[in-house]
Amino acid sequence: MSLEPTFQLPEQMSTSAPHIDNLYYFVYWLSVVLFVGIVGAMCWFAWAYRTRPGHKATPTPHNLVLELAWTIAPVPLLIMLFHWGFQGYMDLSVAPAGAEEVRVRAFQWGWDFEYKTGESDSKLHIPVGRPIKLVMSSNDVLHAFFVPGLRTKRDLVPGMYTSVWFEATKPGQTDLFCAEYCGGKSKDQNGNELDFAQFKGHWAMHSDVTIESEEAYQKYLDGLGGNKPPEERGKSLYEKKQCIGCHTIDGSKGVAPTWKGIWGRQEKLSDGTTITVDENYVRESVLEPNAKIVNGYASPSVMPTFKGTLKDKDIDAIIAFMKTLKDK
Amino acid sequence: MANVTETVEGADAHDAGGEGHDDHDAHPAFLQHHFDTPAQQFDASKLGMWVFIATEILMFGGLFVAYGIFRASDAEVFFAAHKVLDKQMGALNTIVLLFSSLTAALAVRSAQTGKRQMTSIYLVITIACACIFLVVKYFEYTHKLHDGLLPGHCFGHPWFGDKCTEHGSSAVPISVEGLPPRANMFFALYFAMTGLHGLHVVIGMSILIWVLIKNIKGQFSPAYFTHVDLGALYWHLVDLVWIYLFPLLYLVG
Amino acid sequence: MAAVDLPIGGHAAESEHGDPNAPYYSAKKGWKSWAYTLDHKRIAWLYLTMISIAFLAGGIFALLLRFELWSRGKTIVDAETYNRFFTLHGGIMVFLFIIPSVPAAFGNFFLPIMIGAKDVAFPRLNMLSFYVYIVGATFALSSIIIGAVDTGWTFYTPYSVTTSNAVISMTFGVFVLGFSSILTGLNFLVTIHTMRAPGMTWKRLPLFIWGMYATGLMQVLATPVLAITLLLLIFERFFGAGIFDPKLGGDPVLFQHFFWFYSHPAVYIMIVPGMAIVSEIISTFTRRQIFGKFAVALSSLGLALLGFLVWGHHMFTAGMSEFSTMLFSALTFFVAIPSGVKIFNWTATMYKGDIKLVTPMLYAMGFIFLFSIGGLTGLFLGMLSVDIHLHDTYFVVAHFHYVMMGGTVMGFLGGLFYWWPKMTGKLYNEAQARISFVLVFIGFNVTFMSQFIMGSRGMPRRYYDYLEQFEPFHKASTIGSWILGAGLFFTGYILLSALFKGKKAPPNPWGSAALEWQTETPVVLANFRKPPIVTRDPYDYHLATEAELFDGFPEDAPKVAAKPSEKTPAKKSTTKKKDEE
Ligand code: HEA
Ligand code: HEA
Ligand code: HEC
Ligand code: CUA
Ligand SMILES: [Cu+2]
Repeated sequence: MSLEPTFQLPEQMSTSAPHIDNLYYFVYWLSVVLFVGIVGAMCWFAWAYRTRPGHKATPTPHNLVLELAWTIAPVPLLIMLFHWGFQGYMDLSVAPAGAEEVRVRAFQWGWDFEYKTGESDSKLHIPVGRPIKLVMSSNDVLHAFFVPGLRTKRDLVPGMYTSVWFEATKPGQTDLFCAEYCGGKSKDQNGNELDFAQFKGHWAMHSDVTIESEEAYQKYLDGLGGNKPPEERGKSLYEKKQCIGCHTIDGSKGVAPTWKGIWGRQEKLSDGTTITVDENYVRESVLEPNAKIVNGYASPSVMPTFKGTLKDKDIDAIIAFMKTLKDK
Repeated sequence: MANVTETVEGADAHDAGGEGHDDHDAHPAFLQHHFDTPAQQFDASKLGMWVFIATEILMFGGLFVAYGIFRASDAEVFFAAHKVLDKQMGALNTIVLLFSSLTAALAVRSAQTGKRQMTSIYLVITIACACIFLVVKYFEYTHKLHDGLLPGHCFGHPWFGDKCTEHGSSAVPISVEGLPPRANMFFALYFAMTGLHGLHVVIGMSILIWVLIKNIKGQFSPAYFTHVDLGALYWHLVDLVWIYLFPLLYLVG
Repeated sequence: MAAVDLPIGGHAAESEHGDPNAPYYSAKKGWKSWAYTLDHKRIAWLYLTMISIAFLAGGIFALLLRFELWSRGKTIVDAETYNRFFTLHGGIMVFLFIIPSVPAAFGNFFLPIMIGAKDVAFPRLNMLSFYVYIVGATFALSSIIIGAVDTGWTFYTPYSVTTSNAVISMTFGVFVLGFSSILTGLNFLVTIHTMRAPGMTWKRLPLFIWGMYATGLMQVLATPVLAITLLLLIFERFFGAGIFDPKLGGDPVLFQHFFWFYSHPAVYIMIVPGMAIVSEIISTFTRRQIFGKFAVALSSLGLALLGFLVWGHHMFTAGMSEFSTMLFSALTFFVAIPSGVKIFNWTATMYKGDIKLVTPMLYAMGFIFLFSIGGLTGLFLGMLSVDIHLHDTYFVVAHFHYVMMGGTVMGFLGGLFYWWPKMTGKLYNEAQARISFVLVFIGFNVTFMSQFIMGSRGMPRRYYDYLEQFEPFHKASTIGSWILGAGLFFTGYILLSALFKGKKAPPNPWGSAALEWQTETPVVLANFRKPPIVTRDPYDYHLATEAELFDGFPEDAPKVAAKPSEKTPAKKSTTKKKDEE
């Protein structure tokens, strides 16, 4: 079977695609045969035995053999279909040893792919000809990782890890969708409609998968953030890791204390003591948000812990970013 | 069948005065117009109640399955959390309900034999037991609420306490002092299961009160006591569910 | 029976029934006679009215959805509104329209007549179920006013726990609607068991009744699980109980299990009644006993049973264990067998029949055509590895519209055209009706065939916007929805104009042998002037000539015979049944 897109199915870009497509076309043709047989017979009967003067229906006979035949004949066929489908599924679910792991996190509404180097990006790059295993989790609601070209799909379930693996067969770009409904937003807090460009939601979790040669992949990994200055990395982490969802940097008060002028600020805590915002305090706030609560905020803190999500290097970068947010 | 036009007596048995007395056949007052015989009516009612009980069991079944799943994955938590429940109260309620089932059965027996007075007495005892059950449950619930064991936004805080004002905050506590984390799951199931059961006690009680009123008005006879029978049947269901709830929730381990 | 001389209580209503031999719709007058009616035929009309309104509302949301998808970017509404539209479309169509549709409207009207009873076993419960439906519908729809739900009709957690509070009223509404469905199912089960006329043996039971029986079983056994699921969801929203919320240690996949444990049987609650109607129509318009009637009857029960074992096929990508995935996939395929039995037996019934291609028959054939496509594509989805690719794409959307709209709704429309003369006493315009069928059939295929293709090409469902490559398919689908909409509005017009100014219908315009056509039109309050005694199978066309079918079936002497008699038809003058009593 060709790897090119057919009318019904997209281009095949992974090792599992031929299996799935063959199976798809097998049931497709099986269905066509059954359908044409049944509907053909129906239309033929409707014509041949149409009512007309002198024509009368013959009494319905009993034909146990025929009835049993079409009750039992499909059974082996159905078992076969099940078996093939199941086989393919098992191949898809057990990743070969040595598959390279990429950590995937989904959130409303975006993706975060963390490579073995510890760097992350919102787009997925994978090398061609090598099994890749995605270890996936969700920060909020259900999402699903869906790449039609790779014929792969898997839900990302909050509170649990799911995984999927594939091996790309040819370089190129293909689409990545979120396939499990995860809501949407097209109005601001006051209920006013935003511009289309600012709509966010399930359908807008579209991203790209770039399948590339080993060298290009390595180059991509090297280029990922490694040579950016820490403030800039911090800024992108601020956006990507959703700090932006609660903390502002323009001084306005949101769900959480603003980061404007945060560095070195004297913070009054809920137990009445005062503390200066420094490296240790930020670190602790990020890893154990409940340890110290800023006065006036709910206890326990609504802020999730980022333990395991943010590496020391990342926290350093965020601190560097905070230092740039001076109060005038 | 198509051209049958002549009127047949049987078909208009209920034209006059709602008395429903058929002119030529025994067509007693309690027999609704669309049934042919009292036996048919009784069979229909009884079957209806059984089917309804099946739906009730399936409804509780969902909760039992949820319970089974969470208990299997969190056995220790459930064990630790169940100790908070008051076994004495639970046992008391079990006895009360078992006894009430007995009196409900006796009420049916006396209705069958036409002892109207006795039927009323037994029904009253059954209803009284239901009240005792609810009172005990009330004390259990208030105690739990006071200890802050209602899962959710206020878990760990007394219900209506001053600390529990932050409704709608996205972080909900999942542990309280003295209990392992995720004990909230146990209490979520506890309140869901006993709450739904409690609702059924109230429904069952209302049915029995209605039956009692009918009995006092003298609408039953050995020939017709369907409602007593069905009311008792429903009450047995309420009892049966509790028989499972009690060991599952109070006697984990 | 023991003599009874008790004061009467609670039976006063019976005097208000009116004359049992008057047409059911004029036996009593005034709006109260409708609002408080206990008559199954009037309740059927109440239901039919509400269901049609629900269908219209769901259809309008569908047309709006399709219009939004006409072009990329924003066409008419913003994203949040779109999400609400498809939730309301799915929710209304499923819970307010299709689940009650056939049982509550046609089942209520014809089930007692077809088994020769005066009413269902519990008329009061029947009325209650209608008002419960109204209450449920009110709650479900009031969610529109208080912010509308945007979760999809599946209410998956944890999204449904975090989004707007309208979820509570919507789920509570659906919870209440569930009770309406349970009450209807319970009533039918008991009626079929205890209210059959003398001679209406299980063997002679019409296939419509078998379908209602299987449906009743599923309604009674599956709906309570939905009820408890929704109750827990509400509990979750009110208190943050956590059973389905992973943040609190709960399990979102458990919600899916619970939901589909109901909602998969629910799809057979939808299709089995549609199939039941098709069986009736086919036998009438081929003038034949249904081939393998017993097998067709059993296959309804088979669907009811198997339907309970396959819910997991909606969750192949959701993170179940391999073992359960395997089990659910394997069982899914076995559902094809009872469905296949029906399709094959209907086709075989047409062989050597005397086929009249009038509108109801066209709809029945449309059913076979479209349901076969819908069912066969179900097999694609049942195959594990293929479903990995197809899950949550428009392929699934097309699949379920082919079975629900192409199956059940075709059956429903066929039933409307088939029974309209009996229900209203009026004839509709046959030529117009055929045109409307053609519009519906073509429009339907254009709308949803293109969805199969874009789905298998990777277009995910519940998308407000799409990539350029999918544009032609969406355009075709939207155009199809207009044709389809036109056909349905035309259908509505045809039926309503028949109701108000149609010609008077004879008792048996189709010359059907089935019992419901043997009573007079308009149907009298007591259904039959004289309680019928059944002496033959409802599809014993070989016992009568074509003329006799229209003039009055040559009934046997009214012995309560257990078997259909083989005797030659008696002369016309003796066809009327003698008084047995
Ligand atoms: C009326 C409703 C209805 C009916 C009858 C069916 C019937 C079937 N459905 Fe469908 N289904 C839905 C309504 C329905 N479905 C809905 C609403 C959804 C989506 C819900 C959502 O996510 O929102 C869905 C989704 C759905 C999925 C999940 C897809 C996914 O989300 O990934 C699957 C997977 O297995 C499936 C399978 C089947 C099968 C195997 C049948 C079988 O019963 C079909 C059997 C029929 C035939 C096979 C055709 C006739 C038989 C022959 C012609 C005989 C010869 C054939 C052989 C012997 C092979 N359905
Ligand atoms: C019975 C079920 C049913 C029916 C009949 C329909 C009918 C239609 N559906 Fe529906 N649909 C669903 C059930 C149904 N749908 C479900 C469950 C979903 C999933 C929702 C979710 O994802 O959560 C869905 C989703 C869905 C989508 C996908 C949305 C998305 O994923 O983003 C689309 C898109 O095209 C669509 C289109 C249509 C169209 C064009 C029709 C047309 O066929 C409608 C035509 C009808 C009319 C125009 C009304 C005319 C009626 C009258 C005039 C009244 C007259 C009265 C009588 C004749 C009695 N539907
Ligand atoms: C869900 C909302 C939320 C998110 C997301 C969030 N925070 Fe917070 N954060 C809070 C709240 C509320 C407080 C104040 C209460 C407290 O001290 O815990 C806070 C406090 C802090 C503080 C202490 C601030 C001060 O003024 O003393 C730091 C530092 C901090 N967050 C860092 C981060 C970083 C870094 C991220 C992202 C990687 C982040 N937060 C994401 C809600 C959030
Ligand atoms: Cu994320 Cu849909
Ligand atoms: Cu299903």
